[in-house]
Formats: sequence, structure tokens, C-alpha cells
Amino acid sequence: MILNTTGITIPVNRAEGDLEIRVEIEDGVVTDAWSAGTMYRGFETMMRGRGALDGLVVTPRICGICSLTHLTAAVEALDAISGVVPPDNARRLRNLALMIETVQSDVRQSILMFMVDFANRQAYRGLPALDEACARYAPLSGRAAIEVVRETKRLLQGVAIIGGQWPHTSFMVPGGVTSMPDISKILQLRIIIERFTAWYERTVLGCSLERWQAVDSIAALDAWLEESEQHRNSELGFFLQLARQTGLAELGRGPNCFLSFGNLPLPEDTTVSGRGGRFQQAGWAEGTTVHPLDATKIAEDTSHAWFAPKKEPLHPYDGETKPYASGHSGQVYSWIKAPRYGGRVVETGPLAEMIIDGRPLFLDLIGQQGPSVLVRQLARFIRPAYVLDTMHIWIDELRRHSMDFFYRSTRAIPDGEAAGMIQAARGALGHWVKVEDERITHYQIITPTAWNGSPRDASGARGAWEAALIGTPIDDSANPVAAGHVIRSFDPCLVCAVHCLVGGRKRGRMTLGVGNR
Amino acid sequence: MMHPQKTVYWLQGGGCGGDTFSFLGSEFPDVIELFRRLNLQLLWHPSLSNSSPADHELLLSNILTGEQPLDILLVEGSVICGPAGTGMFDTKNGQPKKELIYNLAAQAGLVLAVGTCACFGGFGSDQVTEATGLQFARKERGGLLGVNYRSKNGQPVVNLAGCPCHHDVIVGALISAATEVAWELDEYQRPIEWFSTTVHQGCTRNEYHEYRVEESDFGEMGCLFFHMGCAGPLVPGPCNKLLWNQQSSKPRAGVPCFGCTDPDFPRATPFFQTPNIEGIPISLPMGVNRAHYMVYKGMAAAAAPEHLKKRTSKV
Repeated sequence: MILNTTGITIPVNRAEGDLEIRVEIEDGVVTDAWSAGTMYRGFETMMRGRGALDGLVVTPRICGICSLTHLTAAVEALDAISGVVPPDNARRLRNLALMIETVQSDVRQSILMFMVDFANRQAYRGLPALDEACARYAPLSGRAAIEVVRETKRLLQGVAIIGGQWPHTSFMVPGGVTSMPDISKILQLRIIIERFTAWYERTVLGCSLERWQAVDSIAALDAWLEESEQHRNSELGFFLQLARQTGLAELGRGPNCFLSFGNLPLPEDTTVSGRGGRFQQAGWAEGTTVHPLDATKIAEDTSHAWFAPKKEPLHPYDGETKPYASGHSGQVYSWIKAPRYGGRVVETGPLAEMIIDGRPLFLDLIGQQGPSVLVRQLARFIRPAYVLDTMHIWIDELRRHSMDFFYRSTRAIPDGEAAGMIQAARGALGHWVKVEDERITHYQIITPTAWNGSPRDASGARGAWEAALIGTPIDDSANPVAAGHVIRSFDPCLVCAVHCLVGGRKRGRMTLGVGNR
Repeated sequence: MMHPQKTVYWLQGGGCGGDTFSFLGSEFPDVIELFRRLNLQLLWHPSLSNSSPADHELLLSNILTGEQPLDILLVEGSVICGPAGTGMFDTKNGQPKKELIYNLAAQAGLVLAVGTCACFGGFGSDQVTEATGLQFARKERGGLLGVNYRSKNGQPVVNLAGCPCHHDVIVGALISAATEVAWELDEYQRPIEWFSTTVHQGCTRNEYHEYRVEESDFGEMGCLFFHMGCAGPLVPGPCNKLLWNQQSSKPRAGVPCFGCTDPDFPRATPFFQTPNIEGIPISLPMGVNRAHYMVYKGMAAAAAPEHLKKRTSKV
């Protein structure tokens, strides 16, 4: 119970939005944890009654860091309701824009959000590499921090070439995309991606993409680190060394159960290979055992969140989002619902992607050592290495097919329901949509952060990062940097997780669980 | 050129962080150069700072007591006041965030509302979250801080509208603030430097509009105003004058302008559709006379050159 705990509250900064973690500590180790989303914005209910296409404009505004992922989920739901398959060039352009957003997010998250904690002089005053960490990651002045600001900004110019601007464009529409860049712009796009790839190889990996692909086991990872100064001095190499010195492999275990919705539908005519028509696979995994995804097993539990009580968890086609300031404030403590897969707590994100896509390095790491801050952050650091080549291929295909269609006329959206389920930078994202008479009648969203940052469910099972926090050492409760590492390895994006609503106005007193005594 | 140091605090309320990520897209200067050259000291930014939670609380309390001077306060995201005015839909350490915003504004030399949510309430402003802007609730003056609010240097809140606000506007506003250039504001307290011309100005589809060559589906090159819901001629903003991410704008990429700099954004009617009577838009371009406009458009359509009718020009 949250009542009468004598723990500390950790405000986690650098999360998009508002997240407060409360932990209970015994003998310097976390023994319990509560994760609270502290903001409610009302987007899902805001959608009801709006125009059928309005999700394309409204939902990107849920999150400024991953606006294209909401656009993609929204448009895939509308494609499905309309029964339209976008032309190949639309697939390429949508995929490229989404991949750019994911790659920039991975690099920004790794350097500006995760590694910057090692430049926390107070917490790491005993660390031999502290000065080097500060020289690399100090906000706005560290060498790597400056480079990341500059390189990611230039990479995002690629989204503007495709969709007009970033963030918050709405260039994906049912049936395709709204325009096709001129051939000169496609060439510019290629140069932008090539230039970023060269920077990523030089600075983040310290080796070529090809050399990295050969790292397929823990032993190969160790050998890679031993191989050269270049590898050790790269951002990835430095991360691995810091990870060893600070015990990141022993930190942040989590449920060891993973979920990915898969992503990046393949054009019909492409040399990029995938399975089941997608570049990234959908599925769920217990440890390294991967199972097919069954979307009917998804349900949201509201027993510990400030939403109208439900007898049992509801599938998002049936779910509703009614904020409910309840009296039993010791039990409910978050604006995030608790999504569960077949009743189980799962984590989602790049690590889940690696396991479900069958990447040997990660199967070995999870098989031998289980999940940790180290492996979770490693997955994010190197995800760009697995997609940049494919981006080059799709740009070349665009050049060859520059006169082909990019849009199939789909003006009126028929009545119907469908889900847009994709893999966003932070993990599994779903939009469940119903349309009637050209109006939205139902809109439910489950964000990656809702999976990872959920509160307890009715069975008392902790959400993924609540569970991962158990056992975390806290040396200084005023500066709980290790707990920060655990949360940040999941890459929280809290605005995304805030369920929103409209409709029945609930008046009365409300007490928030975080801060309750 | 070295300026006296000024301190900056960036607060996020009920928003998506989109203005921060827009800001990071600035090229000339980029954010690194901006802070260095203008001698701005960033006391805190929720996505960029790495001081410990305890140090941050100390900083906040020093600002609130006046011990730590705060020259420029940037607020991104709306002020969430629900439910029933309690502000408990958005809290920090169990306290309504709106109180913190109010108290920081009382200490600030200058307040910049970054993005339409902070300016006017934006998303959630007519919903149960009871979102409002700092000094406006949609078109109504007041907001969280009240009609009479003035920052310590005597100015009202400066509204940098947009969803998100254009990166060049945020950077330009910080340059003006750091160098103490005076603002000239419009009726909604937006600097006229960026908000006196419409989004329509500079649009590459302008000539199509001029001759009323209209589209009624995506993927074409003509004007999106008459049927596709484009608000470019209706709202002020620099999107086609200062390109996005140094490259483009939504209308250039075939996406209608959604009017995101307007106090009434997001509008209630469906996006991608132009509310009209018998094919004539209900809202006409900023400042035009309806009768004159109709005559002019009728003649213009008749006079449209072949290359526009055939859409031979590239957008």
C-alpha cells in the first residue's frame, strides 16, 4: 500500500511530460516503487465527434518527440477502415520519415537524456571517467551533446523534405501521402542520410555498420570492445565501459516479458527483406521465446489509476477514458492505465524489437544475463545501425520510381473500425478507431509509456519499470541517480502516457497518491 | 558582441514538448550558439538539464524568494486548471502546476508563452481539462495571469503562437529578449514581426489561389483553401516565409495549413474540409470584403492561365 510508506519521491526530469516515481527504501535498496503519471490531457475523448480524418492532425500533438508515430498509427487505422493499400512510394516515404524520427530519437535519448546522467558531478564524484563524461555530455556544452543537437537537427530536415515540417506534420493520409518530393529533393534526402550515417559510424559506433553487424554474441561484443581504441572511445564503447564501472548490467531487471507490434510495411516491389510483409516483426516474448501476437489479448486495467472503475480490464475497442477523482486515494495513484497482454506485464521498446526480430546479440544477452539497464540502453544505442542501410535502399527505390503513384484517392471514409498498431521509437503504440457517418465515434490509444510505466493492476502486479526498480541501490536519496538510470533506460515519454478525456465532468475533492502520507 | 548575462527558465505545463523539439531544429543560430553568443544562462530546461532533483528544488525556491533573479521565463504547454478549477489534472509534488507557473511569472523579468497551448490554451481549452493560456483563454483576455498582468520589466506575456511555434520565432524572440529590443504586439499579443502576414504569403501555391485553381483531393498542386480546409489565408504566421527545418512547409508538401497560430486552434469543424455555403468558404481571407472578393475570384477563375489549369508547374 502506498499509505504510510517512508520512501522518497523521485521527480524524473528529462521525461517528456510529467512523471513522478515514489520508491520505498530499506538499507539503501529500493524495496517497492510506484510510478505516477501526474498529468491528464484528455485527447481520447477530445477525438469523439470530430471529423473522420482529424486523428491525423490531433494525435500527433499528443507528443512532440514522436508525433510521426501517432500520425502513422492514425493513418494505418484509416487505411484499414477504408480498405486501401497505399502505393509503394507512399510506403517508402512514410517508412523513411518514421525511421528518421526513430533514429533521431534514439541518438538524442542516448546522449542527451541517458548519458548526461554520468555528467552529474555530485552523484559520480568517485568515478574515474567523470571528467571525460562531463567533457562529452554536459548539457549544451559537452562535445557529444553539441554534436547530437547539430546532427539530429540536420537529419530531421529529411522529414521536412518528405512532409513539410517536423514535428507535427500530417502528410500521411489514407491512401498514401500528400506529395512526392522532386528528384533533386530525393537526392538531398540521400545526402542527409549518408552524412548522418557517416557521423553515426564515426562517432557513435567507432566502426562501420558492417563491422557492427558481426557483433552477434556477448563474446563478440567483448572482442569488439577489445579490438581498437576507436571502438573503446566511441560513444558506444564509452557507454559499455561506464556500464561496467557502474554496474548497469545488474540494474533494472524488469518483467523479462516483451511486446512489439512490428512496423514498416514493405512496398510490394522492394529489395528490402522482411517477414509477413513487414520489416520489423510483431510478437511477444517470454525471455527469448517468441510467440505470435494476438491483438485480442490486449486489455487495460484501471484499478490503480484515476479513471472510472471497471469490473474487469477492457480491450481498447471497448475501453473508455473517464477521469475519475476517487476517494480511495491510497490505492489509485496515476493518470496512466495499466495495459496488460493476456493479463501479463510486458515491457516494450527497442529491446523488445531486437528480441522479437531475433537479433542474435540480444538473444544471447537476454538468455545469459536477463534484461537490465545495460541491455535495454544498448538496444537503443545501436538500433540505428540496423535501419540506416534500409533507408538508403528505399531512397534509391524512390529515385528509380519517382514518376510512380504516391496516393490512391480515398476521400470518403466508410463506416467501420480498425486499429493502427505500430512500433514507435519507444515501443508498441496502438490507436483503436471507430468511424460512423464520417465522424469518429471511438478513439482509444495505448502508448509505449503506458505499457512500461503503468501502475499496478487488480492482481497487484507492478508495471514494468515499477518492477525494474526493485533492488536498485540508492546511495543518496537527494540525488537518486541509479533509479534515474532504470527509468531512463525505458525512455519515458510521459505526455504520451497521459490518458485524456472529455465528457462527464467529475467534481469533488481529489488527492493524488504521490506525496500522500 | 557580448551582452550582460541573462537567466532563462523553461517550464512545461500541459503540452507535448513539441515547442522544445521545434526549438532544437533552429539552424542559424542553433541552440548551442544561441545560448553562448547571447550570454544566456539556462537555469533549467526539463529535457536538457541534469541537476539533481534536490538542486532543482533549491533553484526553484531561490527564484520564488527572489534570491535568484529570473530574466526570461518560457512556458510551453497550457495551464491545466481542471477538474473544477483545482488544477489537480497536472501536478508537481502533489501541488497544482498552475500555482508554480503563476508564482514564477510573478518573479520573471519577461514571460514568453511558447506555442499555442501556452498562449491561448490550445488542446483541452474547451474540454474537461479546463486548459487555458497564460494571458488568454482562446480569444478572451485574462487566462491564468489576468488581464492586468505585467512582468517585472512592464510587459504583458509575449505570445509566440503556433503548434508548434516555428523554431526561428522562438530563437528570434530570445534574441530580442536578450538584447532588449522592444516588441510590437498584435491584438493577441503576438509580435507583429512574425505574425503580421498570413501563412498564405510565400506559399508556393499562391498563384493557384490567385486564379482560383482549386483542389478537392490530396496529391495535387493547386490551392487547398476552397475545399481542403487550408487556413493559410486566414491566419497570421511565418511558415512560408521562414521555412520549416530549413526546407519546406506543410502547404508546400500538400498538407493544408490547420491555422495553428489562431487563438481558436484547434477549430471545432473537421480538418481537411473547408466549411462553405454553395462552395464558397464561410471564412474569407484576412481583411477582405466578401462582395469584392467574390467578383474578383469569379473573374480570376475565368482568366486562369492554361499552365495552372493543367497543373504543369511544380509546387
